[in-house]
Amino acid sequence: MGRGNRVVGWGVFFLLLTGLIWGPVPTNAQEVIKVGIILPLTGEKAKFGEIEKNSFVMALNEINKAGGVKGKKIELLFEDDTGKPDVARSAVEKLVSKDNVVMLGGGYGSSETYSIAGVAQQKKIPFLINTGSADKITEQGWNFVFRLNPPVSEYSEAAEGFFKDIAKPKTAAILFENTLFGTSGSKEVEKSLKDLGIQVLLKEGYEHGAVDFKPLLIKVKNGNPDLVYMISYVMDASLIMRQSMELDINPKMFVGGGAGFTLPEFYQNAGKAAEGVFSADLWVPSLPYPGAMEYFKNYKKAYGKETEYHGAEAYAAMQVIADVLKRAKSFSPEDVRQALAGTDLMTVFGKIKFTSYGKMTNQSKVPTYLVQWIKGRLECVWPKPVATAPYIYPHKPWKGR
Amino acid sequence: MLVFVQTIVAGILIGGLYALIGIGMTLIMGVMGIINLAHGQIMMVSMYLTYVCFNTFGMDPYLSLVVTMPALFFISFYIGKYLLVPLIGRDSILPENQVLMTVGIAICLTETMRFIFTSNYQSVRTGYSNKAFYLGDISFNFPLAVAFLIAIGITVALFFFLMKTDIGRAIRATAQDKDAAVLMGINQQRITYATYGLGAALTAAAGSLLLPIYYLFPDLGGPFTLKAFVITILGGMGSTVGAILGGLTLGIAESLGATYISMGYKDAVGMVIFLLVLIFIPGGLKRFTKI
Repeated sequence: MGRGNRVVGWGVFFLLLTGLIWGPVPTNAQEVIKVGIILPLTGEKAKFGEIEKNSFVMALNEINKAGGVKGKKIELLFEDDTGKPDVARSAVEKLVSKDNVVMLGGGYGSSETYSIAGVAQQKKIPFLINTGSADKITEQGWNFVFRLNPPVSEYSEAAEGFFKDIAKPKTAAILFENTLFGTSGSKEVEKSLKDLGIQVLLKEGYEHGAVDFKPLLIKVKNGNPDLVYMISYVMDASLIMRQSMELDINPKMFVGGGAGFTLPEFYQNAGKAAEGVFSADLWVPSLPYPGAMEYFKNYKKAYGKETEYHGAEAYAAMQVIADVLKRAKSFSPEDVRQALAGTDLMTVFGKIKFTSYGKMTNQSKVPTYLVQWIKGRLECVWPKPVATAPYIYPHKPWKGR
Repeated sequence: MLVFVQTIVAGILIGGLYALIGIGMTLIMGVMGIINLAHGQIMMVSMYLTYVCFNTFGMDPYLSLVVTMPALFFISFYIGKYLLVPLIGRDSILPENQVLMTVGIAICLTETMRFIFTSNYQSVRTGYSNKAFYLGDISFNFPLAVAFLIAIGITVALFFFLMKTDIGRAIRATAQDKDAAVLMGINQQRITYATYGLGAALTAAAGSLLLPIYYLFPDLGGPFTLKAFVITILGGMGSTVGAILGGLTLGIAESLGATYISMGYKDAVGMVIFLLVLIFIPGGLKRFTKI
């Protein structure tokens, strides 16, 4: 080894050493309240994890600036679940046994959220879910698990209202990605479409990340349904729409079941093929909730990008966490759980109050919306009172646009 | 019948790209005797390069082949020289420490790209991205068809290179018998990292061809590494013709599975074929070829 290499070696060594000394500067000498947040920060779902983490941090800074909770600052410990249930599981175990967090938050993908919820219940640590939406997560009777967002079966409520009052489709095709989120969502959608008297011609799953959706789309084209309902993440969503345009599939409406269809990236990647596509949505900035518009604007100012419903869920979750910790008698898991159960708070995401209904326990109920991509903007079109633009129906055929 | 033909066509078109990815891994497997687990990640880097060429210089993705192939060749040449070849002959607890090194390289490539480009999904939208042309009633996706033709061109050129040139012969000799090759005066180490570079250049080409059809994010590499691995095994570990057959087989099998079983089981169909080949033709598809 030459002299040059040795010099470089020592240089790296010292860099590492100074990193070790100066790296973990204690944030505050005063005691902090630790809350663990598990999100996909790397891996395929990292895009959403990033929006949610930014929103958590934004809300946290505002809360801590205003004096924190009971004179103490809140500290969020982020763990990365990489979009894999087994990693999520070990992340929770670390947060609970090593970091001694008082409660848990986050939970993006349904499969990961389900495994986190299982561990949280077993270890008796309260867990506030803000995105994971498969129905079965809150159908287990787990009393330490609370969910702020509606379950996936309720995502389409506003869309169903639109079908009933305006669109009145007769036939439908349902496409979904074959994950916990997509599968459970598609079952519920099929049921509610049947209740509306709509005949489901085709219901088929696909593997996330496929290059070519045409084998599936040819079947849709042959069936010629009035309605195509898709439950997909963002890039599958863009490819499905691009290839539908290529195959010239023209139902009366394309409806996305939330998730990928509301992101700005969907429009950027699908381009013209996104125009006129409807989607179920849980939040739009124009909603008359206190702070909703401010959150939207502040996010854009801070990060230079637009936020959407996932971010609003995370921001609202932080509002709820601060409120719960304020009201909790002590920071013991049982007291925090009781405080969570007694939540009645207006957030940017709507009024959060946990109730039990049907098979669900500790589930908050918030209304849903139907949005549509009109001239490159995501406009809320249904229900009427909160609409920002008139809907465009039926879908204009691809050729001749 | 129409649906069947359409399905086969779609399978062959995508199979051509798979073959290109598979050949690269097969070459590396043949000469170095290792599975290159950074293969899909190298393709991902090439796709980012294509993306930058397109966005900054307005360079057509197909034209950017002339940038990405040499670029990835040199990057991988030096990765081979400084990271992989020095590990040959080092004592270690695990015998396959070069394979572990490729995993490390894969992680580094992914995270470097995430650092530069963030986790955002990117795509290149060209005027022809959604074009299709028709032969009778069969639709051909235009970019996929072009990619297929270019893939064939590159493969033919590669064959010419392997069969007729000195370096090509040296690569084949090294793959067949390392010691004999050294005795014949071949600089085996240089051939080794040149092969690593060549394999990377081929997968880089596949990346540039795939981008107009697909999309791009830092974690895209993993699934394609897996595909390349399956193709390499299908083709019989180290056989170039076998890899072409393997790529086409995988493409057609996936496409048939998606149409006649369910798109949800597309990858499962590929894996079942994989298992069947391992059980019934353990040597892979190269048994049906001479080369």
